[in-house]
Amino acid sequence: MMAVFDTPEEAFGVLRPVCVQLTKTQTVENVEHLQTRLQAVSDSALQELQQYILFPLRFTLKTPGPKRERLIQSVVECLTFVLSSTCVKEQELLQELFSELSACLYSPSSQKPAAVSEELKLAVIQGLSTLMHSAYGDIILTFYEPSILPRLGFAVSLLLGLAEQEKSKQIKIAALKCLQVLLLQCECQDHPRSLDELEQKQLGDLFASFLPGISTTLTRVITGDFKQGHSIVVSSLKIFYKTVSFIMADEQLKRISKVQAKSAVEHRVAELMVHREADWVKNTGNKLTILIKKIIECVSVHPHWKVRLELVELVEDLLLKCSQSLVESAGPLLKALVGLVNDESPEVQAQCNKVLRHFADQKVVVGNKALADILSESLHSLATSLPRLMTSQDDQGKFSTLSLLLGYLKLLGPKINFVLNSVAHLQRLSKALIQVLELDVADIKIVEERCWNSDDLNASPKTSATQPWNHIQRRYFRFFTDERIFMLLRQVCQLLGYYGNLYLLVDHFMELYRQSVVYRKQAAMILNELVTGAAGLEVEDLHEKHIKTNPEELREIVTSILEEYTSQENWYLVTCIETEEMGEELMMEHPGLQAITSGEHTSQVTSFLAFSKPSPIVCSMNSNIWQICIQLEGIGQFAYALGKDFCLLLMSTLYPVLEKAGDQTLLISQVATSTMMDICHACGYDSLQHLINQNSDYLVNGISLNLRHLALHPHTPKVLEVMLRNSDANLLPLVADVVQDVLATLDQFYDKRAASFVSVLHALLAALAQWFPDTGNLRHLHEQSLGEEGSHLNQRPATLENSTTAEDIEQFLLNYLKEKDVADGNVSDFDNEEEEQPVPPKVEENDTHPDVEPPLPLQIQMAMDVMERCIHLLSDKNLQIRLKVLRTLGSKCGDFLRSRFCKDVLPKLAGSLVTQAPISARAGPVYSHTLAFKLQLAVLQGLGPLCERLDLGEGDLNKVADACLIYLSAKQPVKLQEAARSVFLHLMKVDPDSTWFLLIELYCPTQFTPPHPSLHPVQLRGASRQQNPYMANVLRLLKELQ
Amino acid sequence: MAAPCPLPPPDPQFVLRGTQSPVHALHFCEGRQAQGHPLLFSGSQSGLVHIWSLQMRRALTTLDGHGGQCVTWLQTLPQGHQLLSQGRDLKLCLWDLAEGRNAVVDSVPLESVGFCRSSILVQGQPRWMLAVPGKGSNEVQILEMPSKTSVCTLKPEADAKLGMPMCLRLWQADCSPRPLLLAGYEDGSVALWDVSEQKVCSRIACHEEPVMDLDFDSQKAKGISGSAGKALAVWRLDGQQALQVCGTHQLTNPGIAEVTIRPDRKILATAGWDHRIRVFHWRKMQPLAVLAFHSAAIQCVAFAADGLLAAGSKDQRISLWSLYPCA
Repeated sequence: MMAVFDTPEEAFGVLRPVCVQLTKTQTVENVEHLQTRLQAVSDSALQELQQYILFPLRFTLKTPGPKRERLIQSVVECLTFVLSSTCVKEQELLQELFSELSACLYSPSSQKPAAVSEELKLAVIQGLSTLMHSAYGDIILTFYEPSILPRLGFAVSLLLGLAEQEKSKQIKIAALKCLQVLLLQCECQDHPRSLDELEQKQLGDLFASFLPGISTTLTRVITGDFKQGHSIVVSSLKIFYKTVSFIMADEQLKRISKVQAKSAVEHRVAELMVHREADWVKNTGNKLTILIKKIIECVSVHPHWKVRLELVELVEDLLLKCSQSLVESAGPLLKALVGLVNDESPEVQAQCNKVLRHFADQKVVVGNKALADILSESLHSLATSLPRLMTSQDDQGKFSTLSLLLGYLKLLGPKINFVLNSVAHLQRLSKALIQVLELDVADIKIVEERCWNSDDLNASPKTSATQPWNHIQRRYFRFFTDERIFMLLRQVCQLLGYYGNLYLLVDHFMELYRQSVVYRKQAAMILNELVTGAAGLEVEDLHEKHIKTNPEELREIVTSILEEYTSQENWYLVTCIETEEMGEELMMEHPGLQAITSGEHTSQVTSFLAFSKPSPIVCSMNSNIWQICIQLEGIGQFAYALGKDFCLLLMSTLYPVLEKAGDQTLLISQVATSTMMDICHACGYDSLQHLINQNSDYLVNGISLNLRHLALHPHTPKVLEVMLRNSDANLLPLVADVVQDVLATLDQFYDKRAASFVSVLHALLAALAQWFPDTGNLRHLHEQSLGEEGSHLNQRPATLENSTTAEDIEQFLLNYLKEKDVADGNVSDFDNEEEEQPVPPKVEENDTHPDVEPPLPLQIQMAMDVMERCIHLLSDKNLQIRLKVLRTLGSKCGDFLRSRFCKDVLPKLAGSLVTQAPISARAGPVYSHTLAFKLQLAVLQGLGPLCERLDLGEGDLNKVADACLIYLSAKQPVKLQEAARSVFLHLMKVDPDSTWFLLIELYCPTQFTPPHPSLHPVQLRGASRQQNPYMANVLRLLKELQ
Repeated sequence: MAAPCPLPPPDPQFVLRGTQSPVHALHFCEGRQAQGHPLLFSGSQSGLVHIWSLQMRRALTTLDGHGGQCVTWLQTLPQGHQLLSQGRDLKLCLWDLAEGRNAVVDSVPLESVGFCRSSILVQGQPRWMLAVPGKGSNEVQILEMPSKTSVCTLKPEADAKLGMPMCLRLWQADCSPRPLLLAGYEDGSVALWDVSEQKVCSRIACHEEPVMDLDFDSQKAKGISGSAGKALAVWRLDGQQALQVCGTHQLTNPGIAEVTIRPDRKILATAGWDHRIRVFHWRKMQPLAVLAFHSAAIQCVAFAADGLLAAGSKDQRISLWSLYPCA
């Protein structure tokens, strides 16, 4: 509203009548009249006329006798309006107004606030607040002299009463705000000057009298119903700690003299004054501790985050200012703070961390023996109760307990060793950790999930900084489900590793690891985190001067853990029933098994293979799988912790990890692969291949030594296979070296483990062929002939078209003759027609050493050594091995083998197929679990590619076809039919025409009409039989041919 | 009669590969060069000397100074910065290895093409004494180093018929400053020479085949020698500087290329032509282990100060074994 009357004279003219009127007749209307007029007067004019205007208002309040509440309310409101626009410049006026306003709510009959309307209460509170704000300059300080004590005390208790007992939230808040103003805690901008030491002390002396009242009442408010609203609790908390920290401030108290100075106040007032000497401080401190504990207990679980945030402020303020006077409360205060470190509210968390950091910077804990002792003691007692808490609490309880533990560790920093050095406490702590980290290992999927192709090592480490726990495997714990608890546990262990005596801790947990399989997995998890923590990579350090474990020591510690992890009894655990090896061994012991089809045996096989529910075996295998995974993850974490230093550990680590990367259990293989990534990242390799290639010497060492104990290390050949696939020609000498060992071992174990060796030999030959590519001639020819075949196949449909003319037939015949010519070996003509054969470039090389026969290159020598072994294996008793060998040799040196295959192997294979066919045709569904079935399947699957690669002659192809034809019968198990079809698909590639003819002989879908009337109709055998068991498969195959 | 089942023989701790040629000489150096980690030197038939880091278990450097001819003997001088290598190119090279250098700084021409290894005796810095096979087939030449001054030539009496010297060991008794030389000869005898007087103090015929190598424990005044035959001989030196055979130990297979007593004189190891390393208790001469790993004759064995055993073989590998740790 615009001020209409700017000058005091004008204003006086306007106000005078209403003031006189009000003095005469004290009615609400007259007060309102005055207030309306006041609104048109400028502030400066108002200031001039302040006393004059106040007079009728104060007169009204002071007039004895009963008054209507409504009138008092309007007077107080009007007075407030005047005060809000003016300053009170005289101390006397301030004191009088203060008394007069306070008196409005005074009820002489009771101690409680008078039973007046809420509006009046609110008006008076506002009035008091405005009055204190209108005090001009330093007169506010002179107001707080001892003589005011009774009146101030009255106002304070009045306001406390309102805050506690009123129903209206508005009044409660106003009362608390006003209390803040009275206690000089107002946060508004109108109080510019900060108090000097003497002023602080005088105020402190004065306020000390109110401390019991303020603290107890506010405690009741704070610990009241959650439903009263958070702002009331927040304000109360604020007033509580500001008042306490002001009156109990160590700074002030240390200046208090032993004897109370004689003050010049009257006796009545002097009695109210408090002397804050040592005894008083002690007593008050004790009483406050009780209240503080109550507050913490209630507020730390308050549902509203702003309340908890205020609690953090409370802790900070009290611990920073009153750590001596409130020493008894330090424990509970720290506990409260530490417990909020992992609060669900990010604001609270952030504030907590800020405060903790602040404490660390100020050395509040470490620099203060008393506080450090208190914390150590708290940690001691928490460690003591931890095992019990971990079993009895629910997830939420565990979460807060562990948060507390974490906070203590953070705050204590290097001083946690006082606790760890006590054997009893270390044992309690570790017992609790081990207990709570127990895994649930009943998940059957873990054992079941297999990975069949372990060759995929093409992945490269992620470019972002990989932190091992970002891709840590999800696991399930027996005693909790909340993932956050696991994260907390990890942080706890990391902090232990960071601040604690690492030797002591590692020793302790290694001991537990060795002690029992029950503790082993948990101990390994803890060890992993201890090391990660010790490297200090993820730890937020509050204590800057803390010296980390030096890298050399850390590497030694890691080396000793790794030794334990990768030792025979901890690394090579039973994780599955190895079908391949088992099968082999079974067959060795009972050669007759190949053909066994009796029901008794098959039922054994099926019950053995199909688990219906998690059995003890499954659980222990699961447990083993997890142990291996945890250890693998540990290796990844160690690599992460050591960085480049980990390179020195590759000689002992790479082999076992690579071995696990090829594990049949999916989980293990995945974890191992990601461990290898971690290693790549730590040691600076850009891919797994690079890692393997650059460290082949270490691998070779492991392979060579393990080959000496093949029974203990059955997967050694697998590691070599992986290594070969990731090596290059530069490593030839190294490879040659280890191949000697492989062959020597193979010579020793022909009977037992030949199968796993054959695949290594296969990988070796493949690698050699890749590293030393052929000069080209042979391959060129081969490709050419393949091309021929392709085009030949493509021609077929055209010739079978219905619209065949005599010319087509003639052309066909000519083509046929030409091809027949080629097939008979008259290639030279053919070649001359095409183009000149390029001169083989080898001739030049031969010229350089005309007479001396050069020594065979190493790779050729190796290949020869390998083939020599393979020839022996061709007559192995085990069919699968024979087939594997054949495939190995067949892919590399067809001619060399063909005769041998045709003479020795083929008759046996074909014979076994023929004799076994009637059995499989009659067998029931369980047959597919028998060894006999598997062998049939293997033979059928292997024959096709072999025939194709060995380029067998017509007679031998017929033998193969004859043996396999029976399996096209619909009576055979579906899988065998499928495999038999695959044989014919391969045969088609080698000789489409005779295959076609053979199939047509079995079953002919159509009657063939000659393309020209001059030709005789063809009569085929298959055409006569309308329905037969071969029909379906033959039709499918013929479809492929067309 | 069932013998108690013996423990399975241990595996090598590690195998060094990459010489690509049979290994003929090994020598450990405990220098400060590799920050407290000992280095291993190996000499190969192809004439190369490999320097191996035992921490990385990889070759750090290769020295090529013998023109492709077999390196038969390696020895570092006490500071560890200088290496002596003897090759069948009739040259003994002195290498400077300090501060990452690897250059030949001096060489001594040799006049014997045999496999006889040289020997040194460091009396006082910077002078040291060197014994090498001499010009005449039965001679040993003594040089003062590093000046390469010839001190004397030890030549047996004409009628002795000892044959070529096969192995040499210079030493010095604690009580006397006189340098002494133990030499094994082709005829199977071991002789003790007084270098200053150039005369044989004592001689014993302890083998029927040529002596291939010997080692001497000057504290116990006891030595051991191995030959191309099937026996190890242990002999003693009495107060009158006379050699006496204490005993022999029969082996299953003939041929010992090198015999080495561990620095703490608790055990000794032999390099067998039968591809095996044999380990014995030195005082009792009790066989402790037969280490089978190599696939060809073992040509050299060496011990590091911490007890690590290295064996080099014709199969181009060097195996490292950690056995009976030093107390």
